[in-house]
Amino acid sequence: MVALPVLRLQDVQLQIPVFTNETRSLKTALLRSVTGGQLRRSAGGAVVTALHHVSCTIREGERVALIGHNGAGKSTFLKLVAGIYMPTAGSIERRIRVFPMLHKSFITSPELSGSQAIKAHYLMLHADLQGFEAFQREVIDFSGLGDFIHLPVKTYSQGMAARLLFAMLTATSHDCLAIDEGFGAGDLSFVEQAQQRLESFIDSAGTLILASHSEALLQQFCQRGLVFDQGTIVFDGPLDRALAHYHQIR
Amino acid sequence: MTVLQTLAEGWSLRRVWWYTATARTRARFARTVIGSFWLGFSNLLSIAVLAAVYGTVFKVQDFGHYVVYLGLGLVIWNALAAAISTAPNLFEHNALHLHNTNLHPVFYTLEEWAFQLQTFAQSFALVLLALSFFQVNLVANLLLVGWLPLINLLLLIYWLPLVVCIAGARYRDLYQLVPIVLQLVFLLSPILYFQKNLGALAWTAQLNPLYQVLGALRECLIEGSSPTGRDLTLFMANLAGIALSIWMLNRQRRQLPFLV
Repeated sequence: MVALPVLRLQDVQLQIPVFTNETRSLKTALLRSVTGGQLRRSAGGAVVTALHHVSCTIREGERVALIGHNGAGKSTFLKLVAGIYMPTAGSIERRIRVFPMLHKSFITSPELSGSQAIKAHYLMLHADLQGFEAFQREVIDFSGLGDFIHLPVKTYSQGMAARLLFAMLTATSHDCLAIDEGFGAGDLSFVEQAQQRLESFIDSAGTLILASHSEALLQQFCQRGLVFDQGTIVFDGPLDRALAHYHQIR
Repeated sequence: MTVLQTLAEGWSLRRVWWYTATARTRARFARTVIGSFWLGFSNLLSIAVLAAVYGTVFKVQDFGHYVVYLGLGLVIWNALAAAISTAPNLFEHNALHLHNTNLHPVFYTLEEWAFQLQTFAQSFALVLLALSFFQVNLVANLLLVGWLPLINLLLLIYWLPLVVCIAGARYRDLYQLVPIVLQLVFLLSPILYFQKNLGALAWTAQLNPLYQVLGALRECLIEGSSPTGRDLTLFMANLAGIALSIWMLNRQRRQLPFLV
């Protein structure tokens, strides 16, 4: 039985506007309004076409690798399917909530404590506090922060903050995960433990979209590969063939 | 996304933004001796100094009435000014999240609103209690007839800063312009002085939307007058303002990550 499509992109294009001082000044806006928009053409600002003619369907439970050199469009694609960016043209149909794991920062202010950050994150995911105590305990145990959890995040070392964030984000499984390889974990003593957790976290995701330059990582988790080049998908198929295609165009 | 869908999204996240705003309020006064009472005290101090100076300058006959008039005006103005002056940079402060999470930007606006609301509630409560020493029925007036003008103020504190915030993301000049405009509006509004002192310029207060909301609440609290057609008109204008500002936010959402 063929799984249901959870993401469908049809001829998607994304143009990123480049805002300059010229296009962002009130003076120019006022001038445009009094000149009937005649200045718009000369000072409208440039746009960069980040993605174009992107069409693909991702089915429930698929594990998709995004392959391509830097600037090929992998991260932009991740942000597009996660709903961070919206397409300039074409359509995206989402039947699933895509959870993006692209950066390492807290949603709360650094003035707040680690335990407040955990609570805010939990509320964001679940909208209530049912089951929060167990979640919090598990995150504190894994991060190894102990009583430091009650101190403001701004007082943490970089490693402590990364450990807490990693423990928090990987404590819940998601229906669909959009993950960038740049997402890692804390200091060296934590890496081995974190690697295992990251692997089981990725395994637990229903549908996976993973952008990475590491072929070993992609082969570990994915079966299908999308090869990006200059903002468009140039190959879509089984991972081994996708990797071969990527090496050919490199 | 429609305006109603965005509002529904904001509502579904209510526990998160209220919680993070509350935590911010607590963190602000962590390790201080009197905590958030500072909010009220700083207002009371300003009221005492300004009432003493301007009461003398304007040679007011009824000092008690003037203190209440100035005190209420000042605490309401401070809430409006604080919400508007922090608005132009709101999205800039949340740039990292706008680039990396798929949370609707309405979340950041509601969190800031909740923070401003909590700040206002604490300072307003203390000022109201202190001013009750000069006019005993202030709290009763608030509870009996002041709710609609108060709701109007709270709604204005959401949508007007949101409009400034949306414009501020595109036009960086606004960050410089907003404090200047606020200072001018403060001086032009009958807050330190009575409207009649404006003489031939009294019409300027009628055209001043910030003063309309401020004046309606202050008048209601001091005189205990029931909500009027003006309050209902302001309420409708506020609802229209919310719809407009959310529509603007949805329209700008596509470009927002590239603006900050």
